[in-house]
Amino acid sequence: MTDLPMPADASRDATKSSLLVADARTRKRNAAEKRFRSYGAAAIGVALVALVVLLSSIIGGGAGAFRQTYLSIPVALDADVLDPKGNRDPAEMSKVLTLSYGRVLDAAVDTAVADGGIEIEGLSDKDIGGLISKEASAQLRDRVLADPELLGTTVETNVLVNGRVDGYFKGRVTMESAEADGNTSPQQLMLAEELKERGMLVTRFNWDFVTNPDASDQRPEAAGVGVAILGSLYMMLVVLFLAVPIGVAASIYLEEFAPKNRWTDVIEVNISNLAAVPSIVFGILGLAAFINFAGLPQSAPIVGGLVLTLMTLPTIIISTRAALKAVPPSIRDAALGVGASKMQSVFHHVLPLAMPGILTGTIIGLAQALGETAPLLLIGMVAFVREFPAAPPEGLFDPASALPVQVYNWTQRADPAFIERASGAIIVLLAFLLCMNVLAIVLRRRFERRW
Amino acid sequence: MYDTNRMENAVGQDDIKISARKVQVFYGDKHAIKDVDVDILDKTVTAFIGPSGCGKSTFLRCINRMNDTIPIARIQGEIRLDGEDIYDKRVDPVQLRARVGMVFQKPNPFPKSIYDNVAYGPRIHGLSRNRAELDEIVERSLRGAALWNEVKDRLQEPGTGLSGGQQQRLCIARAVATSPEVLLMDEPCSALDPIATGQVEELIEQLRQEFSVVIVTHSMQQAARVSQKTAFFHLGNLVEYGDTDDIFTKPQDSRTEAYISGRIG
Amino acid sequence: MAGILGEQSGAFVGLLAVAAGIIGFVWGLTRIGVEYKARDTVERIVMGVLILCSTIAILTTAGIVLSLVFETGHFFQKYSWTDFFFGTNWTPRFQGNSDLGILPLLWGTLYISFIALLVAVPIGMFAAIYMSEYASKRVRGIAKPAIEVLAGIPTIVYGLFALITVGPMLRDYFAQPLGLGQSGASVLTAGLVMGIMLIPFVSSLSDDIINAVPQSLRDGALGLGSTPSETIKQVVLPAALPGIVGAVLLAASRAIGETMIVVLGAGAAARMSLNPFEAMTTITVKIVSQLTGDNDFSAPETLVAFALGLTLFVITLALNIVALYIVRKYREQYE
Repeated sequence: MTDLPMPADASRDATKSSLLVADARTRKRNAAEKRFRSYGAAAIGVALVALVVLLSSIIGGGAGAFRQTYLSIPVALDADVLDPKGNRDPAEMSKVLTLSYGRVLDAAVDTAVADGGIEIEGLSDKDIGGLISKEASAQLRDRVLADPELLGTTVETNVLVNGRVDGYFKGRVTMESAEADGNTSPQQLMLAEELKERGMLVTRFNWDFVTNPDASDQRPEAAGVGVAILGSLYMMLVVLFLAVPIGVAASIYLEEFAPKNRWTDVIEVNISNLAAVPSIVFGILGLAAFINFAGLPQSAPIVGGLVLTLMTLPTIIISTRAALKAVPPSIRDAALGVGASKMQSVFHHVLPLAMPGILTGTIIGLAQALGETAPLLLIGMVAFVREFPAAPPEGLFDPASALPVQVYNWTQRADPAFIERASGAIIVLLAFLLCMNVLAIVLRRRFERRW
Repeated sequence: MYDTNRMENAVGQDDIKISARKVQVFYGDKHAIKDVDVDILDKTVTAFIGPSGCGKSTFLRCINRMNDTIPIARIQGEIRLDGEDIYDKRVDPVQLRARVGMVFQKPNPFPKSIYDNVAYGPRIHGLSRNRAELDEIVERSLRGAALWNEVKDRLQEPGTGLSGGQQQRLCIARAVATSPEVLLMDEPCSALDPIATGQVEELIEQLRQEFSVVIVTHSMQQAARVSQKTAFFHLGNLVEYGDTDDIFTKPQDSRTEAYISGRIG
Repeated sequence: MAGILGEQSGAFVGLLAVAAGIIGFVWGLTRIGVEYKARDTVERIVMGVLILCSTIAILTTAGIVLSLVFETGHFFQKYSWTDFFFGTNWTPRFQGNSDLGILPLLWGTLYISFIALLVAVPIGMFAAIYMSEYASKRVRGIAKPAIEVLAGIPTIVYGLFALITVGPMLRDYFAQPLGLGQSGASVLTAGLVMGIMLIPFVSSLSDDIINAVPQSLRDGALGLGSTPSETIKQVVLPAALPGIVGAVLLAASRAIGETMIVVLGAGAAARMSLNPFEAMTTITVKIVSQLTGDNDFSAPETLVAFALGLTLFVITLALNIVALYIVRKYREQYE
């Protein structure tokens, strides 16, 4: 707040001049005014640009995860290799390892290349075999075990293509980068190009990304967020069943019944401070109290849910209290006036009226919990989990992942294809958040103040 | 007191400072001011009276374009200051307000020192070349507002620490420091006790030696005590305008009579 | 020590008790209608449940404090506290004999938070000023919710944004051409992205605070012939100063406790340097790295995370208490 300069030309005669002409000082001040205003507009502009760049970089980077390249080729399922005993007994057949199916697939690709008359200089067997994902043989095995009658026939099969080749069609991998890459080669990419021209290689919508579990480092093309979605869902269930009743009960007590004394003051200050405790500290609490002390299993949705419950409580309490406060006292008086007890007036009249506000606050609290990552890292949710957890309540104790943690997990992998997966997982996460927020807005609009 | 008023009425009253013609104000759909014509004289205290909601404050705020700060307000008609239309597109309200100062209903000293409160206007308008000149303006304004003796030893203390009457006089000093030609006062005594009110009224009497003062008040006694001209507003209309004595002794309009005799208000 | 264990189990038993309480509470609700005479008894039980629920917040805080203090105590039995608080080296080793000085982590934390505030405070404040004093209804109707969207985005998203967009961009266009660094992860990357995250936080707090300044002060300044910007700079902001200081402290506390953005954007190297293009690390990053994976809860390398957590908790709590106190005092002034 510096003093404005006091130029000599501006004296009190300036005020005698015509109103219709802006004097030099006024012009200068108006220019300063305009500058200030433009700073404000620029600040909003910067914030909006940041939002747009943020969203477009994530969505642009992650859209690829929803499209995947598949090779559709006829595969001759050689009964001698896949069912050496020849009795079509799935129990016997399950002794045949994935490796054998890999060989069958390699042969099928070889045949396809030969039949197509594709000739590329320097194309090695490794290039041809490496074209398809390592996950493909496992998928073929599952399919055959489920239906042993397929053996001996030739089936049209859609197999996942290697992540590098898939990346080539999405622009992530180029001929130049393939040159330097031990996992692919320009020849392999040319082969893929040839196959695409023949219509055998197609990139299409990839629903598996949403339903598949995570996959190991070597096969990003097969990784999905299925387990993570389920894990997040389980945690949200825990939060919903614990945080909401506890939060609402606590709010009712503090807002409607609590006497104004030292103890309730302590609780109040505590809640507002708890809302600002860094989330990672809740992770430490979870690790120390629920895992080390109470002995709950690591990576389990129940522990994640408990930690998120404690984190979400302040949010729910604060919004519930606001909703209760918004109910006019006349409603309470009316209920008390007809002989209801204080408790009855609260539960029969105040609470139902405050419900929309409570719901809105709850949804926003849940949305916060859904996006929370840091505390979950500390309670082991970051582990590599491929098995879907069982149905609740037992499933709550099974290891699972969570959407935001899955994102973190994938950013720590070496293959850049996982970055695409991470962005894709964020798109799924944001879609959930968007739905929750829209729901909150709709609820608020729908039930806005009826008195 | 009436006698002194009449004597002083002779002083330079012929100059018309502000002339308003067919002024209309709308707040959204509400027609707040209807067809107001009035000529306000220089070196005169003009009082706007009328029941609350009659539009007297609204009209006052038109004179220095404070209504510009309310997005839903629309003004039609013309108001001339020394013959220049203040609603002309070329007029900068900032320059206008330097010439038409304003004192508000509630004392609103800035959360700054007493000195900085008074120096605020001169600083933004560049009215002093150096610190000594600024000091002089501050002292003159505080003396003008009859506050100097009370605060001269604590100029660096916050203005918000003064009593209500002192705060309002500080706000008057702040307005006077810009050397305006017209001073608008919007019920300046409504938040003050009788003693502070007396001090401010005395001050108004002195101020008219230098400025044209327009004061909105809902106290008829106050209007009679301080003003030479009185305008009576009712439901957005200017019902009657004339010498204060005439308005209070022989009102022409029945509504004015009803108001001053206490039947409406 | 036994007392501490008792308290911890208390927290857990409390949770179980609440679960049981909820069942009782639902049962009680059905009883209210059926047996009118039972009203008093049932109500007393329900009241007990309500009171119990309201103490969960206290139990949580107690749990946090106890688990932090308890394990930090273990840590300081194995590692000297002076070396921890005043050590300038952070080099944990698997085989033991690690240097675990907090200063480089604290430096990284404060440096990144400082840059974040440097971004968020001016942008957030100017945005709030523009929206409350200048913007038309239409602009406000679009800009305000859009900025609030920034607040609803999870921090992992910002982290990924730092990792894949901001980091490489700063490295390729600034750090490498200027010869200042080779790393995408840097103080500046994390600071910038964290700044963006804090914009809505600062702007909504500032909005509240600016709107709490009474209109009469604005009128006073405008009536003297101030331009709107002079009114804001010389009257509104000085009047709002305490509130704004409080808001900045709250934002600082957020920045210091933020984890995912720094985990993905700041790097893992503990370093005390002034170059913002260099990777540095923070307290939160090291809590994560020391506590993920296989933990050996007898090794100081694991236990140090609790000491870091306690330090973080104390710093953020102190900032919050001071900030909330200032903001409350400020609000009272104009009520």
